[in-house]
Amino acid sequence: PADIRDATQARVRSPPAPVTDVARLCVCDLLVAQCDVNCCCDPDCSPEDFSLFTSCSVPVVTGDSQLCSQKAAVYSLDVEANPPERIFKLIDQVNPSIFCIHATNYKQALYLKSPEIPTPENFDQLLDKFGGATFSAEPDSWNLDRDAQNPPDANETSRYEYGVPVQTEDAFLRLPSPVVSSWCSDANPAGFLVNQATKCIRSVSVEKCDSIQALSMLFYINSSILAVPKSSQMVNITVQSIVVQSLNGMRTLLSSSDVLRLPMVLDELCINAVLGVNYHITHTDTGEIIEAAAAFVLGAISKETLSIEQSFEISFTQENTQPVPLSGNPGYVVGLPVRAGFQPQGYPFPAAFLSNKHSQLTILHSTSTQDCLAAQGARAPVLFGYNMISGCKLRITAAMKCQPLAQTLLDVLKGQSFPEYVASFGNSQAQDVLDWVPITQLHISEQNEMVSHTLQSSCQIPVSLGIEVKWTKYGSLVNPQARIVNVTATITTTTLKQLPSGRERIIPITSSVVFTDISSPAEPSYKAWPTIDIKLPFDFFYPFV
Amino acid sequence: SSQLSSLPLQILLYVNGIYYIFYFLATLAMIIYKSQVFSYPDDLLAPDLAVLFLMAILEVPRLYLGFKGNLTEAEAPLGLSLGLTVGSVVLCVYLLLWQTYVLWADVLLNALLLSAYGLESGLKVTAIAAFVS
Repeated sequence: PADIRDATQARVRSPPAPVTDVARLCVCDLLVAQCDVNCCCDPDCSPEDFSLFTSCSVPVVTGDSQLCSQKAAVYSLDVEANPPERIFKLIDQVNPSIFCIHATNYKQALYLKSPEIPTPENFDQLLDKFGGATFSAEPDSWNLDRDAQNPPDANETSRYEYGVPVQTEDAFLRLPSPVVSSWCSDANPAGFLVNQATKCIRSVSVEKCDSIQALSMLFYINSSILAVPKSSQMVNITVQSIVVQSLNGMRTLLSSSDVLRLPMVLDELCINAVLGVNYHITHTDTGEIIEAAAAFVLGAISKETLSIEQSFEISFTQENTQPVPLSGNPGYVVGLPVRAGFQPQGYPFPAAFLSNKHSQLTILHSTSTQDCLAAQGARAPVLFGYNMISGCKLRITAAMKCQPLAQTLLDVLKGQSFPEYVASFGNSQAQDVLDWVPITQLHISEQNEMVSHTLQSSCQIPVSLGIEVKWTKYGSLVNPQARIVNVTATITTTTLKQLPSGRERIIPITSSVVFTDISSPAEPSYKAWPTIDIKLPFDFFYPFV
Repeated sequence: SSQLSSLPLQILLYVNGIYYIFYFLATLAMIIYKSQVFSYPDDLLAPDLAVLFLMAILEVPRLYLGFKGNLTEAEAPLGLSLGLTVGSVVLCVYLLLWQTYVLWADVLLNALLLSAYGLESGLKVTAIAAFVS
């Protein structure tokens, strides 16, 4: 209605006109209708107030100092007079520079822009522009250009890249995973080359067994995977194997995995419910998926069960390669196991190294019993960057013989197959012999004070193994890669003194791994100074030479 | 003497040519300086640059016709040059008064150029009068 609009018009006031007269501008006049202390330009101050001031906080008020000639209001206190009084002078300030602004035909040049006052008409537009957490100073036409360039070219993404969701016919290859709570969410896409393993809980009931989609094998192999994003080439997901898990947890591998087993109700149990899916995707080195297989674990759900835990895993393998787990690419990643191996017979002609899971660099794993002889075989892999120390206690009785004890302790410390070589980079291939670093083995014997007695009981038993891994930063300054340079395994032995019968002794046995960074500080390198190459022509000094 | 060509006009035209090169480079440099230091929106920068380049384009035939007319003692090219001078004067007055930012250096350069144009125009008129009669 018209009266409301009139009311809003009346309420909307234009912003106050900017004050440009230097005689009336006062920045220190903060208190309204009161005199501000030491503010010589304050109109609220009387001459008695001025006589109490000590100095002027604002001595000069000028306009833009880049103008050639401008008015300036100068305030000062005359302390000689009794009582002190304020002096106000209006002078012309001259800018002596030859580049001073003589005149300007652009009125807004020297003043700040007055902001738009929001009215009911422009409120929405102002909210769009300034309502977010950030807004840009560029005019709106900039954003429009960027939007026009945004629709991606269909020809550009012709291959999968790391992290890109694996696309299927309808949407993405789903890997159900827990999102906020432990309940399964089906909206998690699997990323290319991202090996993931997730576990989540799904609520089930035996009555709705065949209607819950996530319990059926078909849900996971239904839609075929696109070989490259946005293409029409499909890769069907084949069933690699089916393992059936019974109610008591026993698993049996089915011989034929061709038949699709769908969940159905049998004797108040829901059988063929999917408990786990393991995807194996094979890809080429150009980012194209060529094969996809899924291994299922099917189980039975009883009437009382309200929820089951499903586990999902996806792994990517490049075609024609053996899936050796890399510990970094190329430098070692902290937390991944140090890769080690043996050189097969044929030394000194270097052949390829054997490197498999059994020849990892391992360290003794402390057990709860802490008895070295009881818990043989418990070993932990050496992870790059993690200094570890472990140990056990050895009970020596009088009846123990030295030599077998020394051999047993060596086995306990070094493990069954202590490797000879360690991979220099996280992705060192077995056939590149130069990328492997030999493990230097040292033997140190602890000297006792009574040196003369060592000749009699020359029984040395190893008591500690210290592996020192020296690594350096390799490559570029912004992305240094860790590279193992030297590995030294030091066995410290001590003499075992014969015990009187009936007595027993407890010796601590320790093994440790230390990673030392021996990278030299980066040296900056500068480009060579440009040289001026001047050659005068042959006959430059013609008349004289 | 039978020589009707005006020597002062020739000297002035020659000096004008050299001065104009300096004037053009200095004004262009100052416009660039102004656009960096002050707030110079694009829709105000474009006319100023256009006027400067138009003046440069006018100057070349103007000086050439002036030289030719004076040396061949022909009044037609000299008259044409006078006409082009009027255009140059208008553009120079724009740069003196109606530019977005007129610096003190701008005032000096343009005033000098205007006085040169004025003197030239006077000398051209006398030369034409001498050639015609």
